[in-house]
Amino acid sequence: MRILVIAKHVVDSTEIRWDEARGEVLLRNLPTKISDYDRNALEAAVVIKEGGDLVDLDVLMVGGEPALKTLKEALAMGADKGYLVDGGWDDPFDPLRTACVLAQVVGGLEEPDVILGGLVSEDGYNGISGPALAQLLDWPYVAPVLEIEAGDGWVQAVLDGGDVRRTVKVPTPCVVGVDSQMNVPRLPTVLQVMKVKSDRTVKVPLGDADTSATTTLVGAKSGAVERRKIVLDGSPQESAAKLVESLRQEGVL
Amino acid sequence: MAGRFVVSAASVADLQRVAAAARELAGADGRVEAVALQGDGGLAPAGAAAEQVAAALGGLADALVVYDGAGAWLRGDVWAACLLDALGDGADGLFVADAPAAREAAGRVAAARGASCASMCDAVTRGADGLVATRSIYGGVADGSISLPLAPAVCLFAAGKYEGEASGAAPAVERRRAPAPAYQAEWVAEEPVVKTVDLAAAPVVVSVGRGFAKAEDIELVKPLLERLGAELGCSRPIAEDFKWLPQERQVGLTGVTVSPGLYVALGISGQVQHLAGIKGARVVVSVNNDARAPITRNADYVVVGDLYKVVPELVAALS
Repeated sequence: MRILVIAKHVVDSTEIRWDEARGEVLLRNLPTKISDYDRNALEAAVVIKEGGDLVDLDVLMVGGEPALKTLKEALAMGADKGYLVDGGWDDPFDPLRTACVLAQVVGGLEEPDVILGGLVSEDGYNGISGPALAQLLDWPYVAPVLEIEAGDGWVQAVLDGGDVRRTVKVPTPCVVGVDSQMNVPRLPTVLQVMKVKSDRTVKVPLGDADTSATTTLVGAKSGAVERRKIVLDGSPQESAAKLVESLRQEGVL
Repeated sequence: MAGRFVVSAASVADLQRVAAAARELAGADGRVEAVALQGDGGLAPAGAAAEQVAAALGGLADALVVYDGAGAWLRGDVWAACLLDALGDGADGLFVADAPAAREAAGRVAAARGASCASMCDAVTRGADGLVATRSIYGGVADGSISLPLAPAVCLFAAGKYEGEASGAAPAVERRRAPAPAYQAEWVAEEPVVKTVDLAAAPVVVSVGRGFAKAEDIELVKPLLERLGAELGCSRPIAEDFKWLPQERQVGLTGVTVSPGLYVALGISGQVQHLAGIKGARVVVSVNNDARAPITRNADYVVVGDLYKVVPELVAALS
């Protein structure tokens, strides 16, 4: 069986801040990594590989040269080969363009049975690339997947349907959106990432993929709600008393 | 203004909301068409017959197209096929209320039409070049304006941002046959998920985070919940990593968005994704022993201290 995980190279979202003075999101010189949700997808794929006999597990990432380190992180988690799309871009909010590039590149690889990805990305949170990719490939899409079993020509998945857990079986090849509730991803050590040999990464050309923008970020403002930050100091007893008094005055008790 | 908009949703209330958003852009001269799917019962919106859906859309939509034979459960690909059929020659926008199957439907339609698409939209307005959606970016650090120049602009709406109420006569209902699915999906099993809490509607929420050393310690909060009449929530690690509490109690961008009068964060550092889920709270209180935690800059009242000592004192002060 051939599994391909699509993983996004992102700026670590826990490090991103809003710069009040400049009125912009601070992104420069921040650490980059695999999008958390794609780690769940990778973990799911590695578990399938560990449990099955013959599974080829590859990772596909967009992002150009700067994403190479991130790709090695994915390989250190247990993937065999990493494909890096040559020619990335800076706009993380264009899920359709991403899907077009992924579809083009997947078309040039040996056809996977299953493509796994996180349900959303930690920068854009769109959750659109997966189903759009499925549409462009004309494949089934299953999501949000809580449990997965893959066999010869089929995938059986337990889906989070809100008020129901639904189990469905779809034919392969298919695209699977992994819910972050499914597992706790393993974290490779720095040493494991360093040990990943360069010959396990392959650059794939964009070819004639349509990379024109389908959306553009035209403005941004701080997402924070201004709060009063009133510090209630003193002993635990004193600060508790002050808090209760303040909340009574607010009328929320 | 004017223009043509197609709307769809997995619940009647959500359908009213997205129809209201479309109505605002379409104006009285424009056209808003709602799409419903029926299979073995109402699928989108769930559990509603065509007449009920139409009645809920009075004044909001000009037409309701009902697709019959859409299957035993709501499939994103079938939903997409119905929406593509309903879009016909084109529209300015396709507005769908966010839900799991809705993301598949929207993603497929946008890809099939070579259109622009954004999910988790808070608001959509007209821009110089098509529609512009306002949505949270980078996990809530900023609110971005996303230009959607390629029609139909496919917008997935976040829950609860628009209000829509029926007024006037129900729109005419047109019935069509749902396109046959492109592949066979086998229904294997289904079990109901028992929801024990509705955090989104709770007037007071007390959430626990990694400041709690072990699962049993959450018991400490029980008397506080009783005194405050609060529901218990938690941060992402508590639900996802440690699994001390079920997912339905997770507050934040990937969990539940809450808007209580009072939100108490106990031992929660306040990552942006968590803060994004409490934007609607009127008063935010933080109890945390780390004065440099982001939550202290994002709370109205801050107690810097050991929650194991502060919580019992709070309970005593409330008695």
